[in-house]
Amino acid sequence: MSVAAAGEPKWNGGMSLFRKINIAVIVFVILYAGIAILQPNYLEPAGITNFLRRATPLAVLACGQIFVLVAGGFDLSMGALVTLTVIGGSMLTDNDPGNTAWAILVLYAIGLGVGLVNGLVVTVLRVPSIIATLGMLLSLNGVAMMWSGGSPRGYLPDNFRFFGRFTFRDVPLVGSFPVAVVVLVVVALAAWWGLQKTVFGKRVFAIGDNPRAAALSGVRVEATRIAAFVISALAAVTGGILLGGFGGVSVDVGSGLELQAIAACVIGGVQLMGGRGSVIGAVAGALTLFALFTLLNLLGLPQPLKDTAQGVILISAVASGAWRRRRAG
Amino acid sequence: MSIDAIALEMRDITKSFPGVRALEAVSFDCAHGEVHAICGENGAGKSTLIKVLGGIYQPDAGSILIEGKPAAFSHPVEARRAGISIIHQELSLLPHRTVAENIYLGLEPTRGGRLDRKAMMEGARRLLGRLGSPISADARAGDLAIAEQQTVEIAKALALDARILVMDEPTAALDDTNAKRLLDLVARLRSEGVAIVYVSHRMPEIAAIADRVTIMKDGRKVETAPIGAMPTDRIVRLMVGRELSDYYPARPDTPPGDVLLEIAGGGNAELADIDLSVRAGEIVGIAGLEGSGKAALARAIFGDQPFTRGTVRFLGAPIDLRHPRAGIEAGIGFLSDDRKREGCLLQQSLRDNLLLVRRAFASPVRGSRAGTLADGEADTMMRRLDVRAAHFGQAIGALSGGNQQKVILGRWLARDPRLLVFCEPTRGIDVAAKAAIYQLMRDVAARGRGVVMVSSDLPEVIGVSDRILVMHQGRIAGECSPEVGEEGVMALAVGHRPAPLDVAREGALA
Repeated sequence: MSVAAAGEPKWNGGMSLFRKINIAVIVFVILYAGIAILQPNYLEPAGITNFLRRATPLAVLACGQIFVLVAGGFDLSMGALVTLTVIGGSMLTDNDPGNTAWAILVLYAIGLGVGLVNGLVVTVLRVPSIIATLGMLLSLNGVAMMWSGGSPRGYLPDNFRFFGRFTFRDVPLVGSFPVAVVVLVVVALAAWWGLQKTVFGKRVFAIGDNPRAAALSGVRVEATRIAAFVISALAAVTGGILLGGFGGVSVDVGSGLELQAIAACVIGGVQLMGGRGSVIGAVAGALTLFALFTLLNLLGLPQPLKDTAQGVILISAVASGAWRRRRAG
Repeated sequence: MSIDAIALEMRDITKSFPGVRALEAVSFDCAHGEVHAICGENGAGKSTLIKVLGGIYQPDAGSILIEGKPAAFSHPVEARRAGISIIHQELSLLPHRTVAENIYLGLEPTRGGRLDRKAMMEGARRLLGRLGSPISADARAGDLAIAEQQTVEIAKALALDARILVMDEPTAALDDTNAKRLLDLVARLRSEGVAIVYVSHRMPEIAAIADRVTIMKDGRKVETAPIGAMPTDRIVRLMVGRELSDYYPARPDTPPGDVLLEIAGGGNAELADIDLSVRAGEIVGIAGLEGSGKAALARAIFGDQPFTRGTVRFLGAPIDLRHPRAGIEAGIGFLSDDRKREGCLLQQSLRDNLLLVRRAFASPVRGSRAGTLADGEADTMMRRLDVRAAHFGQAIGALSGGNQQKVILGRWLARDPRLLVFCEPTRGIDVAAKAAIYQLMRDVAARGRGVVMVSSDLPEVIGVSDRILVMHQGRIAGECSPEVGEEGVMALAVGHRPAPLDVAREGALA
């Protein structure tokens, strides 16, 4: 170990950030280049913003999931909450655009409740988060199924779909700009601020790194953990509202998204078991994962092969992360 | 004792760890039908010696002979095959398995490739009978009392046909009745010709059971002698006989200030009848052997493992702390003895580690670097503490123990509590950092704060404390001034209290 007096650490913060995310960014650039070769219009402004629009729900979920991951847990209930949001949105609005505003409020209230229950089950009942949120996943899927009576309505009101669907036209420079990308930027900035710029965020890192040390230092470990689950759930509702604008209403619109969100975070350098990660990395990871899906689609691979490729990439991402950490010491 | 009866011989065993020479040319032997006790302070090298014998560590130099034949163990299993069984302080039974299953773990009798449950039960009953124990072979191990579990551990060793039995502080967790029973058991095994290596801190026990005693200190063997030539006073003197180093800070001339903390009749599962007071400006040392309750006392004061009985007054008002946060709010700080598990956020930066307590009590939506949470504040504190690191943004996990400890200490100094409880403040850190931490403790006291220092390191307790409480079996065995020396403290700690010490105790209690 160097015995030099503490020097100016300025360069190093940026350096370590760069080191943390550069794999995700590099992989993203490579994948996007592959996409562009197959479909040159992905290089046009409209192509880029459209890609971002479709990647937004996943990126938003990753921005919520990262709080739970850094705190040392998992939130597997996100995808089911997305489904419940879309189904609930169609049931509450009942084809009447006048219902949209309060329906969205109710959906966020449901998200708040789901996050609180997840957090309380983990902290008070001491159920491991992977089990607690798996149970929540199954329950929410059941609720969504029952609420819709098994046959969800075909569509949501247009003003509900505004966030996922609407695109500003004739914007200077880029031409068109989707509302979803604005949402992504807002959510990502909020998550970045919350996780990396506030006292709360530092506590999330602390409880993910060493909950016992944090508790002995006076950190409210349980309250912090519950808050992480609430943030994750609110992100899932946001993701659900965005996805509602994309396609039809169905009972499997969110299925699997929780794992994709976790995968996105991991690709972006977030450490499973907690204590390490950055929002920029999580967003970059989500874009990388979505670029991978897009590329596999363009290549016209059959679904099973796409799933396999996705799994291989995920394992490689985690392995390379662990390898880099080992080398860094 | 004839030479051919020697069961075990260790010759010039040397073992180093990074930065520490744990064993220096230690020789040791034990005959069949002999109980050979090893005594020494914490850190004297007893555990390392046993781990070398058990194949857990490989010695850097030296040789081991089992019944005259050279042996080299690269793995614990090899030592077990050679007939060496070690009963560690922490028992290793599987709590959900039966007694018989535990005894035959790894050597289950089989018939036709299948577990022969009947043979296993019979064998277990036979072994327990040989030990004169009434324990049922099909009881669940986790349901047994500690003393019974220990008997099962011994039966487990006998199932392997151990000819050499090593017991590491076997009575540490036992009360007097059960300890006596265990000693009877040891005597019985001795009469069967088992060679027994017996590590203990309890002097009366050693006087009662040992045939020979070996004293270790600072990784060396001091002396080996028959028990007849080793009265308890002499053992204690040899254990601690070293000079006080001069790196302890000078004690202040000023008398201590007002009473900060006052505990009357405090107790919980591990503690009983705790009466103590701490004044502003003084350093109260708490000494005692492992398992004496000194760590539990520190945690009870802080509210981590709260008192369930008695009354506690802090700054003149009664308090009842139920958790650490309450302790910190009341004005108490706590430096854990387990730096890695309870102190460091290993992956976070030095600054984030240092600011942890301040951030725990700031508004959650406050900027993480706002005002008193700024990098500059943390850096100033770390420079004051002379933390040596490449840069303060580096992860704390990469630092040496001494620098980590300074950062964790800085975490508390940033909060500046009225009372600071230090648990083993210098465990595993180098001499220079030790001296710095002693000076910091003295500085804290000089600013009118109270300091409680729990330590297993006797010279440190003597060198730093203004007065010393000695714990023994969950109680305060006595209070003394540092002038009584290491022998006086050790005598209290082992439950052996020569008359002259009472004077000091009476004076301090007033």
